[in-house]
Amino acid sequence: MRRLLGFLSVLLCLSAFSGCGPRETAVARGDREQVLHRGMGPDLADLDPALATGTSDYTVLSALFEGLVAEDPKTLAPVPGVAESWEVSPDHLTYTFHLRANARWSNGEAVTARDFLASWRRVLTPALAADNASLLYIVQGAEAFHKGQSADFSQVGFSAPDDRTVRITLEHPAAYFLSLLQHWVWWPVHLPTLEKYGSAFERGNRWGRPETFVGNGPFTLKSWRSGQLLVAEKSATYWDAANVRLQAVHFYPIEDVGAEERAFRGGQLHLTEALPIAKIDAYRKDQPQLLRIDPYLGTYFYRINVTRPFLNERKVRRALALAVDRDNLVGRVLRGGQLPAYAFTPPGTGGYTPEARLGTDFAEARRLLAEAGYPGGKGAPVVELLLNTSENHRLIAEALQEMWRRELGLEVRLVNMEGKSALVARRMGEFQLMRSSWIGDYADPASFLSVWAGDSGNNYTGWSNPAYDQLLYQAARTEDPDARRQLFQKAEALLVDEAPFIPLYYYTHVFLIRPSVKGWYPTLLDHHPYKHVWLEAP
Amino acid sequence: MLSPSPEKLPSAGLPPTLEPGTSPWRDAWHRLSRNRLAVFGGVILIVLTALCVAGPWFMGNDYQSQDLRLGAVPPNAAHWLGTDTLGRDLFSRLLYGGRISLLVGFIATVVALVIGVTYGAIAGFFGGKLDSVMMRIVDILYALPFTIFVILLMVFFGRNIWLLFFAIGAVEWLTMSRIVRGQIMSIKRMEYIEAARSLGFGRRRIIFRHMIPNILGPVIVYTTLTIPAVMLLEAFLSFLGLGVQPPMSSWGVLIKDGAEKMEEYPWLLIFPATLFSLTLFSLNFLGDGLRDALDVRSSKD
Repeated sequence: MRRLLGFLSVLLCLSAFSGCGPRETAVARGDREQVLHRGMGPDLADLDPALATGTSDYTVLSALFEGLVAEDPKTLAPVPGVAESWEVSPDHLTYTFHLRANARWSNGEAVTARDFLASWRRVLTPALAADNASLLYIVQGAEAFHKGQSADFSQVGFSAPDDRTVRITLEHPAAYFLSLLQHWVWWPVHLPTLEKYGSAFERGNRWGRPETFVGNGPFTLKSWRSGQLLVAEKSATYWDAANVRLQAVHFYPIEDVGAEERAFRGGQLHLTEALPIAKIDAYRKDQPQLLRIDPYLGTYFYRINVTRPFLNERKVRRALALAVDRDNLVGRVLRGGQLPAYAFTPPGTGGYTPEARLGTDFAEARRLLAEAGYPGGKGAPVVELLLNTSENHRLIAEALQEMWRRELGLEVRLVNMEGKSALVARRMGEFQLMRSSWIGDYADPASFLSVWAGDSGNNYTGWSNPAYDQLLYQAARTEDPDARRQLFQKAEALLVDEAPFIPLYYYTHVFLIRPSVKGWYPTLLDHHPYKHVWLEAP
Repeated sequence: MLSPSPEKLPSAGLPPTLEPGTSPWRDAWHRLSRNRLAVFGGVILIVLTALCVAGPWFMGNDYQSQDLRLGAVPPNAAHWLGTDTLGRDLFSRLLYGGRISLLVGFIATVVALVIGVTYGAIAGFFGGKLDSVMMRIVDILYALPFTIFVILLMVFFGRNIWLLFFAIGAVEWLTMSRIVRGQIMSIKRMEYIEAARSLGFGRRRIIFRHMIPNILGPVIVYTTLTIPAVMLLEAFLSFLGLGVQPPMSSWGVLIKDGAEKMEEYPWLLIFPATLFSLTLFSLNFLGDGLRDALDVRSSKD
């Protein structure tokens, strides 16, 4: 009976298709109605700017929130956001922001200076354990407050002289401060809403649901079915709503890059987050107008958990890093114009190119491993490499697995995990090697090197080095660009020497995009403010 | 083994010219060997198994060694079936993967068969309260989402390929036990069972020597269907990261990889899929043949 039904339904489908001709695809309909359909990679972990950590979180949050400053769609230079103007004191230590009168939350209330202060206080509250809290350390007294050395928030360099003025006092001058403000951890949340659904200062608050969500961005959360679809709809209360041309953005969390590509081809998506490596050449040849390879300020690397036996030996870590044939990995496996990575900071980041190198040297790698007491891999334990599920990540991991087996005699086991579980494992330190990537938050080496600071919430490897932290501390307080770069060089040399990570390649962003998407400019950080994007049917 | 021993045969009143009796197994073998399709299936299976077991020892190429510079190339003299995107020889991977897939198929199926038949036969034979309890347990296990059950087993016992075989077998027996129970219920009241009962045979003997041989038909057919299902299951689990892990391969993994790249590198799909289909067809033909051959009711033709 069931089989008969199945057969009948197939017949019905066939007749439907033959009868009505091709149906209008989601993309064609979207072009007509200004609804952008985009793949977003793994599902987002958190709808809370204070707790979000990943690029797919940014992809969604940037539609739902807006910080004091926003980004120019082409250059990413700071442009007025919630703040309509700002002044900088002559000593570059105090920034005064004037909030616009018509900035509104999606529930209609005004966005005030108090909202910002309360949000930042929340980020710095130790109990919340926000991964990105250290980005606020640049503010006077923020570090002490976050580390619990002071419980008085009024000692932190934030103040609100009135409802529409925010004043921030920095610990030291920083030319990149306005770019730093574009990071999501600085975006405001609506505290009264949070308090309605639990404690605002602890994790696990359930305010980020369509019925309860309050944001201040050009779009607001309409619906969210985890793992399927998140719909952000144009917000009527946004101050610049008249200039927002998209009516809605549909985010599809498709972890399987192959499935994402099929969805794109089937007319379900305007743009994808990634592209299966095997398809790059075919698109290059047949449909180059759909393929985009944008520069992308990021590093693809493996974290090494240095608290684990075997991996706590510097020589072993260096051996692993040296026994990677990056040229072939990038040129033959990835084929997307990436650069082989021999250090952590991408070359040319804010005028800085790392000199330290973890080059490819199989003989040296074997020698180091033998010195560590594992000649030819004898006596070495099986090393586990944790991956979040993705065809591309697995391909790279399989290539490395074989390099390490062939060159060092090491056995590496690949462990697959779905995105969210992988994040939990990372937070708990339950990994040995872990696939990771770091995308710059702003174009400055500090954005990369500060990941490895001992107190960084993004370190996760258990590695810390006081000399390294000291160098970063000095660099942050050095104004002369050359002297600052020298300090970064020293820090990077130290980092590369200790190798708590294995650099693999510097990113390019390879994705597919429909020609009807306008205003999607190649930017170094892969930020594309949705308010400047529109659709135009060809 | 299953035929009544000569002493138990009623000896009186038989004509002296009776043709010599043959065992049901010999009969079955005879019928099977006359079924061309079944023989074809059996031969293919044996050849495939032999190739997969012995092949990798004679191959010049290793299933895990890569040649990144080479990348994916179509079939040629050095690589008979071409290479995958990491430059690994597909033929070696296919043979090596065959070991895993065939092992999974057979071990998991045997586990499912043993548990399922025993369980179903006991429930069906005794009936009543015992039957209700046993079948409710099956219902409960049915209600458990399969993947979660396997994941639980894997988490509990660790990642081990042998455990994977047993874990799959341990969840695949449910349907088998239901089929067996139904069959047993339907033949329970038949005359020859009554006869065996009145001859005073023990329950165990009745179940295992009189009932199970009579329900082998559906059991064998279902078994031949279980093997491919189990192979596919293994592929699915491997994809989730619970089954076979790289660099090992299995047919399921190869087919999945090939399907993703079929437009660019069709040979990566064509060869594993052909081999897999060939195995499934052979199993089905052999299963059909076995069912016909083992059907005791059609034995006196």
